[in-house]
Amino acid sequence: MTDLSNRRWYSGMLTQEDWWAVWLGVGFFFLSLFNLAGIDLVGWITYPTKWVLHPPEGGKGAVSHAFYALGKKYSVTAKGFYKGLGWWSVLWTYVVFTIATCIGAAFMRWNMKRFFTGWTIIYFLTIATWFVGHHAFIAANKINMKQYGLNFALSLGGGGSFILALIVGLVIGNFFKPFANYLSEAAKPEWYIKTAIVTLGVKLGYLPIKLAGFSHKLGKEAASLTFDLFVAGAAATVVAYLVFWPGVYVISRRLFKLPRKTAAVLGSGISICGVSAAVATGGAVRAKPVVSIMVSALVVVWAVIELVILPGFFTHVWPGTNDPLVAGAAMGMSVKTDGADAAAGELMDEFMRNKIESETDGAVIWPSGIITASAVMTKVWIDMFIGIWAFVLALVWVYKFERRKGERVPVSEVWHRFPKFVIGYFFCWFFLLALYFGPGQSGAAEAMPFLKTVKAGAVPIEKGMRKLFFMLTFMSLGIITDFKKLKEAQFGKMVWVYFVALFGFIIPVAIVIAYLFHHGMQIPNIAGFVK
Amino acid sequence: MKEMPEETKKEPASGSLTGAALEAEDVLAGAEPWEPVETKLVVWSLVIAAVALIIGLIVVPTSILHTS
Repeated sequence: MTDLSNRRWYSGMLTQEDWWAVWLGVGFFFLSLFNLAGIDLVGWITYPTKWVLHPPEGGKGAVSHAFYALGKKYSVTAKGFYKGLGWWSVLWTYVVFTIATCIGAAFMRWNMKRFFTGWTIIYFLTIATWFVGHHAFIAANKINMKQYGLNFALSLGGGGSFILALIVGLVIGNFFKPFANYLSEAAKPEWYIKTAIVTLGVKLGYLPIKLAGFSHKLGKEAASLTFDLFVAGAAATVVAYLVFWPGVYVISRRLFKLPRKTAAVLGSGISICGVSAAVATGGAVRAKPVVSIMVSALVVVWAVIELVILPGFFTHVWPGTNDPLVAGAAMGMSVKTDGADAAAGELMDEFMRNKIESETDGAVIWPSGIITASAVMTKVWIDMFIGIWAFVLALVWVYKFERRKGERVPVSEVWHRFPKFVIGYFFCWFFLLALYFGPGQSGAAEAMPFLKTVKAGAVPIEKGMRKLFFMLTFMSLGIITDFKKLKEAQFGKMVWVYFVALFGFIIPVAIVIAYLFHHGMQIPNIAGFVK
Repeated sequence: MKEMPEETKKEPASGSLTGAALEAEDVLAGAEPWEPVETKLVVWSLVIAAVALIIGLIVVPTSILHTS
């Protein structure tokens, strides 16, 4: 039995996955900041792009370019070097992240031989899946599929890779159980997702820097619109989340008679940012690990279903081109994974722009990306709620549900339950914000060269490292998920809880709240400029 | 002040998503009775949502109060 009285506030800093997510995420974030001194130490991080076996003449998608080092596009000081890496960036990424994760594994006293071989297999399986998932047939959409010589594409964007990774992992976990058991030493979805969440903080801090670039391109009107979206998205998200969570909690507890902890994890998973929120809340309320796994799997599956249904519904049924930003904001509040939400927003952006151009015979043309931005904006705000709500729930569980009369619950218990990776998430976010508002002069033209160097470091982390760790999460999640065990835990019942909560509550509420804050917002008409 | 009973001294489950921790157990059964504190949690969440909605509608320039 563990004696909790010996725990100190710093206990576990070198031995817990939670903390090692912080060290990995913040460590690589600091490496990225060397760009400010003119040294690009993160441009090698690999990233996939869409490909086909036989690209059309003058088209895109050569297999030889299917992976590239992100420094090729974004580096300020070493673009030439990183341009030459191509597929070798996959190996560079493997070597550096292998060293980093093995250091973590050693401190956590895992079996190093099994971790190293397991990590190596999982990494290359993930890369292979990422590659297949970026075949243009899977990842391209109806707008860009012609560039790859295709007449039909599944329009799944990057979301297709996540689904494939989950499927490959599930096949291993359910049909090759001895192999899955061997890999289990390195199949650590919690560690990988928490690391991805820390890098999500980099993404949030980078957002105003990115939008500063957009504003200069789109002009004052677009800058004002993005600011309005930023403010409206924040207000809508705060209201929506505080309605979502209790609603789903009541549905789970009263309608489906679920236990308290399971209902709490479901409430967060369906209401906030799916997998991340389920893991964070699972940790905060100390739910059994299988709950987070079940909810995470459901989130992924339902996000894909939403990705297929919602863009067409919002475009052709309601609100259509009358209120495109209501649709975008509602999408961001309804689709529970970052990847699926961005993909759905982008798909709807294309649908809406095509529709308005056709309806007005070309008299109205909208710039691309604004509807996508409205979908991403509310999602980003929702992401911020993960840590805050996990902290609130930890307080409630420690001081209300698990406290018995006459017992003393030490204040330090709140700290021990606090999801530590949230510290890394907020640290990266605020650090970049400080750079933006300080030397970045809030995106003033004279500060753009400085912000460009910040961007050169931030993009490989918020894009390459974050997506890679999301892929590793989905793969690992599949590997450790044994449906036989889930079946024993009545997985089917949870599918129905999710279905009722999502379509009967979350989506309708999201639409109403998005309408209250975004109704009437107009996208600039650029028809006069493009003709 | 009373000491914590033995059972509460156990290290709480970590919530870790690891293969070893994934045990086949029914996490959907055995619902505890609804407690007043749950009502408080739900009601307060909705009350704060209502307050945030009113403030948001007043403060946010693109809200329906300002555009309709």
